[in-house]
Amino acid sequence: MLLVVTALAFVVLLALSMPIVFALGIAGIIGLVLGGYPLQMLPSSMVGGSQNWVLLAIPSFVFAGTLMERCGMSHALVNLARALVGWLRGGLGMSVVVVSYFFSDICGSKMAEVSALGSTLMLPLVRAGYKPEDGASLIASGTAMGMLVPPAIFMIVIGEVTNTSVVALFLAGFIPAAAIGACLCALVFIQARILGWPKDTRPSWRFLLSAAREASVPMVVPVVILGGFYLGVFTATEAGAVVAFYAFLVARFYYRNVSFKEMGWIAYESALLTAAVVFLLAVATIFQYLMGVTGVPAMLGRLLAPLGSAHWLFLAGVALMTMLFGMVLEGLPAAVVLIPVVFPIAIKLGINPIHFDIVQTAAVGIGLFLPPMGVGLLMALRFANVSVGRHARSYWPYLLALLVGLALIIAIPELSLFLPRSAGMVR
Amino acid sequence: MLPKIVIAALLILAILDMLVGVLLRYVVVAITEALDLPTVNFFWVEEVGEFALAWLTALGAAVAIIERTHFALGFLLYLLPARAARALDRLNHLIIAGFGALAAAYGWKLCGLNAGLASPGLQINLAWLYASSVAAGGLMVIYGLGVAAGLIERREAATLGGP
Repeated sequence: MLLVVTALAFVVLLALSMPIVFALGIAGIIGLVLGGYPLQMLPSSMVGGSQNWVLLAIPSFVFAGTLMERCGMSHALVNLARALVGWLRGGLGMSVVVVSYFFSDICGSKMAEVSALGSTLMLPLVRAGYKPEDGASLIASGTAMGMLVPPAIFMIVIGEVTNTSVVALFLAGFIPAAAIGACLCALVFIQARILGWPKDTRPSWRFLLSAAREASVPMVVPVVILGGFYLGVFTATEAGAVVAFYAFLVARFYYRNVSFKEMGWIAYESALLTAAVVFLLAVATIFQYLMGVTGVPAMLGRLLAPLGSAHWLFLAGVALMTMLFGMVLEGLPAAVVLIPVVFPIAIKLGINPIHFDIVQTAAVGIGLFLPPMGVGLLMALRFANVSVGRHARSYWPYLLALLVGLALIIAIPELSLFLPRSAGMVR
Repeated sequence: MLPKIVIAALLILAILDMLVGVLLRYVVVAITEALDLPTVNFFWVEEVGEFALAWLTALGAAVAIIERTHFALGFLLYLLPARAARALDRLNHLIIAGFGALAAAYGWKLCGLNAGLASPGLQINLAWLYASSVAAGGLMVIYGLGVAAGLIERREAATLGGP
């Protein structure tokens, strides 16, 4: 009864356009009152959930990513990607996938990434003969793949929710992202032959070197993250601080195009986004507590027990739910509402927590770009100026490529576990 | 304007604190060990960072109401006629103000309960930590009522958002 009323209150408030965090909070208060639990849990959860060392990685990565994007680092990455693969048939399309991979390495927010890539790449794509809907599909699917490339905020949150090492998750994401990227590049290669997409002229060695030199400035970030984590030098929080400091130095002394006043605004916007994410995580602990005391995980555990023999089926089922959550509610609410319920079941079934988290991260990435209402997709379409309906006709092959990539990640756990295992984080 | 400056300053404080932590852990410790000097304690780094994040989150969550940064499923507001949508939006903000009032009232009680305790590192009275929920709740009441009464204008669309 308690759970039904609480869940109903949440759904009604959500439908009435109440911000998700307040819908969760108010439904949680109703649940606490009905269950006779002390209302002091509200401020206690607000403070306890946000007083967290691991979550401190979020503000620094968001600040660093926004600052680097404002410096114009995306241009350097686009030039390098075009020099590397642009001269192949459909190479410009492939370069969108490549640049999404690189850019996700410096930018923690998917919305900021879609905005940066949409504004930088849409015009060159259309000028080169790609239809706007194809351009939007490339940017949307590339950014969806980039969800797995650290330092994604979602990975920090899901690591916190499932009590899994964020460093291990960051390391685990590189190969699955590359697997999905390979699926997308294969699709672009086929599409390019069918649709007769153009190719850039082959770049000179001099241009390639100059593009690599320019891109080496942003590429320091993935080197710090991958190298630092692999060698066990940094924690995720420390890496965030180092990357933020590097972004500051590069913005002030190399690009010299961001004033202190603008940096103040970037700090403010980063603080707002951080607060929205961490507050959601903190308030959701009330909801999680109520689900725990009403025995939801145990009930779901019994319900899903028959799937114990087929891990892939369980992972695919949960990934489908996460994807739909990601499309309707965005990714983070999925992490704080759905994942805490299903994660204990996954552990009971013997699924590796890192594998589980990586599959759900990939699913959320796809959900954000799932038609008709994935917010990432809607943003990408804004740059292409095409309707959801018109775009869907050309988007389905990209969606299929993303799902094939997800199926690979589900079926081959080693794609997620190889790097953390070789760094000694998984036995 | 003050809460906006404070949350930007808290973010910078948190990042600087973490940087100092990295410097102390990897550079200063190595130097003191090499020169056989007394060790430098940096247990306070974690505490300062966590306090800064708690206050940043509390104040930022309140400011995010007027900046429209909180994630929302706003399709009904777009489907309804303008007057009905405005009425629904105002009702939602009245409810948010109620949420803030509860957070502030029970946060105040929590401050009282924790007033006798201090943080292990810097010995800061823990009431200061829980006071963040009182400040957040108070600001939510002000912003919620302000928007409901049409006295506070909100930003048109958030510049950042999503994971």
